[in-house]
Amino acid sequence: MKITFNLNRVPQYLDVEPGEPLLSLLRLLGMKSVKEGCGTGDCGACTVLVNGRAVRSCLMLAPQIQGKKVLTLEGLGTVDDPHPLQKAFLDSGAVQCGFCTPGMVLVAYELLLRNDNPTRDEVAEAISGNLCRCTGYVKIVDAVLLAAQWKREGRWR
Amino acid sequence: MHRTGIRRFHLARDVEEALSLLSAYGDGGALLAGGVDLLRGPPGQVEGLIDITGIGLSQVGEARGGLAVGATTTLTEILKNPAASAYVGGILCEVFRQVAVPPLRNMATLGGALVSAHPWGDIPTALVALGAEVRWRGEREGKAPVEELYRGEFRGLFRSAVATEILFPPWNGAFAYEKIGRARYDIALLNSCCGVGIRDGVVAWARVAVGARPDRGERLPWAEQALVGQKPRESLWGEIQDLVQGQVEVGDDRRAGAVWRRHTAGVLVRRALVRATEKAGR
Repeated sequence: MKITFNLNRVPQYLDVEPGEPLLSLLRLLGMKSVKEGCGTGDCGACTVLVNGRAVRSCLMLAPQIQGKKVLTLEGLGTVDDPHPLQKAFLDSGAVQCGFCTPGMVLVAYELLLRNDNPTRDEVAEAISGNLCRCTGYVKIVDAVLLAAQWKREGRWR
Repeated sequence: MHRTGIRRFHLARDVEEALSLLSAYGDGGALLAGGVDLLRGPPGQVEGLIDITGIGLSQVGEARGGLAVGATTTLTEILKNPAASAYVGGILCEVFRQVAVPPLRNMATLGGALVSAHPWGDIPTALVALGAEVRWRGEREGKAPVEELYRGEFRGLFRSAVATEILFPPWNGAFAYEKIGRARYDIALLNSCCGVGIRDGVVAWARVAVGARPDRGERLPWAEQALVGQKPRESLWGEIQDLVQGQVEVGDDRRAGAVWRRHTAGVLVRRALVRATEKAGR
């Protein structure tokens, strides 16, 4: 079936299988930041934003994004020009193996879009559905709070 | 990443179209709202999927002093809604904040939680305690208390009908919700939702529900009767805890044993009643 949607601000017109998981579609489109971890919505590695809300792409079907805006990490920043939120993760030492990082960054992005002065508890709640086996979470929370500070200082583009 | 056996996907435009498609597919059709449960399990028999998120069932509003919530409203939308936040001292938000994690709450819908009715779910216990009713459209329009529906074969009903709205009645009192899970984001090993109304210094009405026993949440009418007419006091909470621990029907599953559930049910009911009474007195 044919669907139209917006991927990282670029219109897409695609023919997809009705039962195609969004996760596999996005990876086929080259969005390799979208990872398959558990495949059951528990780990958060496949998180993307749909219409500004973080969702599990492993639990969505491609046809469900008809007419919607999808944002993956590729739409946030690049290696040469990282988004301030990504830079905060690097500066805070919040990245180790990196498998969880795209999902972590996107749930943090959703939080900071609505609240640029979150408490430590609010950050912990926002990332509570994203599992990290390396960092122990402290550095990730530090990174989100640093990015929030930069946003309040007008340093987000 | 498994693929489903789904061969067709429809974006229904209204309830009539959704019902017509559902009827045409028979057992091979299924409604889709949040979709949280669809891809979690093994591929099923579903051939045609009917997306009902665009048929106008996502809204929250006050109704007859209580609250009316469209069936495809997500838990996040309810959490952000001022009327839902204000309903009976914010009990819905208290419950929904303990359901899964934010990205799943962005997807999951109230109607989906009602129809899926997982025994370990937080929401079925709260719906029963709060006396919620569900409206649906099928061959005919219907409405029933969720508690009554859960006593029968409700899954058959929703194979040929669309849940449209969940109605929460007004309560002159307060509710509290207690849950124990292995981790912050995990499902309940046991949960309890209790409410009380205080008049002239005594309990005028009480609602006591316990869920994940491991069976789905049910009210404990004998515990409610034991509360009515009593003056709220420490010894009363102890009596109710003992009563629940003596009479609640619990069982074993791979998550927890019956002995632990029996003891903990009394503790959770006591905690919920104490908090509800404190809230009711404010």
